[in-house]
Amino acid sequence: MNRYLMLFAFATIFLLTSCDPDEPMIDNEEELITTLNYSLTSSNGDVIILSFVDPDGDGGNAPLITGGTLDANETYTGQLQLLNESVSPSESITEEIEEEDDEHQFFFDSDIAGLSVSYNDQDGDGNPLGLRNTVTTGAAGSGTLTVTLRHEPNKTAEGVADGDITNAGGETDIEVSFPIDVQ
Amino acid sequence: MSCAFVKGYSQDCEFTIKGYVYDQGTEDPLSYVNVFIQEISKGSVTDDDGNFLIENICEGEYHLIFSHIGCESKKVHFDVLSDTIINVSLPHTSTAFSTVVIEGVKDETNNQPSLSVNRQTLEDNINQNLSGLLENETGVNLIKNGSSISKPVVHGLYGNRLTILNNGIVQSGQQWGNDHSPEIDPFAADKIVVLKGASAIEYAAGNLGSIILVEPKKIEREPHVHGQVNYFYESNGRGHGLNTRVEKYSPELAWRVNGTFKKYGDRKTADYFLNNTGFGEFNLALQLEKTIDEELFLEFYASTFNTSLGILRGSHIGNLTDLNQALINEVPFFTEDNFSYDVDAPRQNVSHHLVKGKAKYYITENQNIEFVIASQLNNRQEFDIRRNDRSDIPALNLRQYSTNVDLKYNLNFDNDLTIKLGTQNIYTDNVNLPETGILPLIPDYISFKSGLFATLAKKIDKVQFNVGLRYDLEIQNVATISNSIPREIVRFNNRFNNIGALAALKYNISKEQSISFNSGFAMRNPGINELYSNGLHQGVSGIEEGDINLNTEQAFKNTLEYIWNPSEKFSLNSLVYFQNIQDYIFLNPQDEIRLTIRGAFPVFKYEQTNANIYGFDLSTQFTLGNALLGKLKYSFIQGTDTTNDIPLVFIPSNRFISSLVYRSKKTMKLSEHVLLEDSEIEINNRVVFEQTNLLPQQDFTPPPPTYALWGFKVSTNALFTNYKIRCFVKADNLFNIQYRDYLNRQRYFADDLGISITTGLSFKF
Repeated sequence: MNRYLMLFAFATIFLLTSCDPDEPMIDNEEELITTLNYSLTSSNGDVIILSFVDPDGDGGNAPLITGGTLDANETYTGQLQLLNESVSPSESITEEIEEEDDEHQFFFDSDIAGLSVSYNDQDGDGNPLGLRNTVTTGAAGSGTLTVTLRHEPNKTAEGVADGDITNAGGETDIEVSFPIDVQ
Repeated sequence: MSCAFVKGYSQDCEFTIKGYVYDQGTEDPLSYVNVFIQEISKGSVTDDDGNFLIENICEGEYHLIFSHIGCESKKVHFDVLSDTIINVSLPHTSTAFSTVVIEGVKDETNNQPSLSVNRQTLEDNINQNLSGLLENETGVNLIKNGSSISKPVVHGLYGNRLTILNNGIVQSGQQWGNDHSPEIDPFAADKIVVLKGASAIEYAAGNLGSIILVEPKKIEREPHVHGQVNYFYESNGRGHGLNTRVEKYSPELAWRVNGTFKKYGDRKTADYFLNNTGFGEFNLALQLEKTIDEELFLEFYASTFNTSLGILRGSHIGNLTDLNQALINEVPFFTEDNFSYDVDAPRQNVSHHLVKGKAKYYITENQNIEFVIASQLNNRQEFDIRRNDRSDIPALNLRQYSTNVDLKYNLNFDNDLTIKLGTQNIYTDNVNLPETGILPLIPDYISFKSGLFATLAKKIDKVQFNVGLRYDLEIQNVATISNSIPREIVRFNNRFNNIGALAALKYNISKEQSISFNSGFAMRNPGINELYSNGLHQGVSGIEEGDINLNTEQAFKNTLEYIWNPSEKFSLNSLVYFQNIQDYIFLNPQDEIRLTIRGAFPVFKYEQTNANIYGFDLSTQFTLGNALLGKLKYSFIQGTDTTNDIPLVFIPSNRFISSLVYRSKKTMKLSEHVLLEDSEIEINNRVVFEQTNLLPQQDFTPPPPTYALWGFKVSTNALFTNYKIRCFVKADNLFNIQYRDYLNRQRYFADDLGISITTGLSFKF
């Protein structure tokens, strides 16, 4: 009897082997940020757009980064736009950030002498957000400008309101570096 | 245990109860066994020949408690209608002194090196989870992710390479993750056994030698309702826990119900709170047993395990920059000064349900067949910190259903030759529940494992040998989602054949000494995570990539064990092991840094190499005078990638564990009806050495330095007329030392736990 039971168990298992998992549902990756556009408008109305585009998200194909050339000793009005282009139509993540402005803050850092970024907007508590900002260039030079978005930073920690990321904490939602020439 | 009842003749209240107590293993008489009649608080002690006598007993129903140092106490129910003789065997261990002792498993057909944790130890460590219970044993280490997630490591192997059997059923779940612990309530069990052998032929494939068995005992043949209530409070985390067990035997149906509830808040290091590290847990188990004509044994078991736990907020980070910042910080981000029971994202909700039916039929006295069918449902939800109220939507939502069908045949020829044949079949269906908004890290799959095994054990005089063979077939049908745009479903169908073999030889040099040699071979095909992981693993903040071209691992393991028990006062157990694993699969950090919009992430790929993992476990027990018991344990382990001649990552460091117990042999009489017995004071120490066998480029930060933790414990048993209460108070990390452990992933962010004082009460009725 034992042998038959064993055969039965094996037969059942082999019959089942034709089973494949059902078609997995491909989720809408609504939270993904694929694109960051940073438009810089100079005092005479020239527009320079820096961009970081990675439509397939983490992994897969490498992202496409577009830097720019800025004029020396100039002031630009900066505006950040965040998109999720993995879905169609593409989704604006900028709005999500605006809705949760108290939980987000952008930070800017550059190794180009004289280049600085200051905040031009505030959250409901009067702390800086950074979607709108002002970029001031100094003497000519070249290097990178790094834009960082932190989720749930400690906005009251020392230096954070002045744009110093050191004590901010939280986790990084965006961290991209644009090659910049100041001429 | 065996009892014999022989009735004599006498008058009311002048009955005598006498008997003989002997060692179950050696059949030698046991002296100094306490024999105590619970109902009338009357007792006696066995003499040098194991005999006892209690006089002037009235007619009635009684419970007799047999307790002896080194044995778990035994309770026997009987009716006195006349003079009664009771002969009892106790499962005595020759080396034991205290009940908190690790005893070897004496299964003649399985002479693999092993260790076990008994019920008493379980009760005294009720504040621990399954892994924590094994932490002080030789050869066992823990991989942790904070204080409430831990998984056992035996001889350097864990996860996919270590099988855990819960009540005989291969625990199925998401074993791959270092941030997942086994979903088992150890308090439904009576014994936890770790087999450290060369090849676990009898158990489902996938393991490379070692097995952890979590086993409840059979329901005692005790016609009254009996049970216990265990309660504890732990200061660190302000945790409360309650475990209740009730059981009753009757020839129609024997039953046992076991429930455990735990609630913890934020844990604390030596200096600061670990915010968001609380958890809640609720477990329930039902065990039913029925015997038909002493031939057919039926068993039903159902259990549910549910937990909701928080992950240290400060360990949830974004990219490499965040990690580097966290490594610099002394105190993790988001650390607050106040304690809380609340749990927010990041958190996990995990549940595991098991239903099992077992039938064992004795064809003859020496032959039996065992049939087991079981189903498990495992659900894992992980919540990350997300934008726009999505923190309440799981970022990972896995549901795994599995069914096991096992059949086993045992044949004994007069105990000198035992043959076992069997088959195990496991069907697994793993599904990512949709609407997480995130591409799954582990794909959907259906797998079948089907195995056949045969073992033979033969004893000739002083020599015992075991041989075994095993074959397994595994089929994996997988549906992955591509990471190119547009997303596509890519299917894979794999078929693997695995073989295992074991040869073991044990030579009993004398009554005091034995030596055994085990040699085994095992194969393990790559797991789903190793083949198909693809994407960002938030828990480890790296991009993990599987490799569809991985080969099956082949492991050769040899163990040599020497046991020396020269007297009741001294024992020594030493185990040397060497395992060579060809095509060892591991997550190898790549030189490449992957750029994403969130910044740079380290890339880890599943790769193969040849590895040697070897070491030794040494333990000794000794008594000093009459009341002091000392234990020393040392584990040494080393892992090498022999292909590249570099150390293996994530191998435990060496450890030295020691304890000294003072046990009062005197029974103290508190009052007419209350006795205090087996009062103990214990001091213990655990030294975990720095992992020096690692190159700087193999980790983000160097392994933490050596640390030593002290512990202290006081315990006693209060015997009342009808019940027993055990109380203990213990302190862990007594000196509130600040430390980090190499195998705790939280070490990148925060210190390990500071001082904790646990008070426990165990009430038995």
